Amino acid sequence: MALANRDTQTERQNSTIGTPGQNTRPPIASLALLTLTFIGMMTSIFMIFLYVPTDAIEGIPQRIFYFHVPIAWIGMLAFGVLAVASIGYLWKKDERWDWLARASAEVGTIFITLALITGSIWGRTTWGTWWTWDARLTTTLILWFIYIGYMMLRSYMGRTPASARSGAVLAIIGVIDIPIIYESVNWWRTLHPQAEVGTPGALPPEVVLTLMISLVTFTLLYSFLMLQIYQLQKMQALAQQLHANIE
Amino acid sequence: MQGFIYLVSAYAIVWVGLFAYLAVIMMRIRGVRTELAAVQELVREQQEKPTTS
Repeated sequence: MALANRDTQTERQNSTIGTPGQNTRPPIASLALLTLTFIGMMTSIFMIFLYVPTDAIEGIPQRIFYFHVPIAWIGMLAFGVLAVASIGYLWKKDERWDWLARASAEVGTIFITLALITGSIWGRTTWGTWWTWDARLTTTLILWFIYIGYMMLRSYMGRTPASARSGAVLAIIGVIDIPIIYESVNWWRTLHPQAEVGTPGALPPEVVLTLMISLVTFTLLYSFLMLQIYQLQKMQALAQQLHANIE
Repeated sequence: MQGFIYLVSAYAIVWVGLFAYLAVIMMRIRGVRTELAAVQELVREQQEKPTTS
């Protein structure tokens, strides 16, 4: 009888998690995203190094811009997705929202770390320093700490509803930092340049086109990575539930 | 020349970082798949037990 209950419980879980066979197969969307990311990355590299003109003032290191800006954009987008997924989880109490939140937090941490590193290298060439307590840099560093705090919290509390709830609350509070980062160059006097994309005549068309292709490419890469981590979360949840059933 | 070194360093860090992360993801997926297969085998064994006894 107890085993029969376990079986029905497993069937119910499988209806949201999927059958084990489904979880081990790579989805077609992953392959499509990987192919598109590869094509986009090759095009971006070609445009960054061979198409776009060298900046008259900053010279060659200005080309860091074409990777730094999209990486930072993904770092912020990922936190936005994390916050939306967290609201979704608190509202619907569906574990799938939590998998999405965890996936976005993990990918976002990688991207914001790379944004801070590439920004630091670019800052060394243009400002002559690796780091300055500039408003945008500081608010981005705060975002990095929020991401790390989120990851530590989730790792420490394990895969429990309490962990998902606590993480969701932290993410919803933390997302306030995103508009502050975006507006920091307008609100405070900073070394960081103001937003030039979208301002007519501020950037040459080649620069805008290259940046846009790089932005799309990194967004595709983010989507690909998100799919992988989401699948991973799904399989981990299934393994944990099966473990619980046989114990 | 120094500017070129900074440019190459920035791109190298991004590439190495992303490839390392991808490799870690692939290893984690492989690990979870192995774990899942082992747990499924245990579940199957448990399900077969009452029918044989």
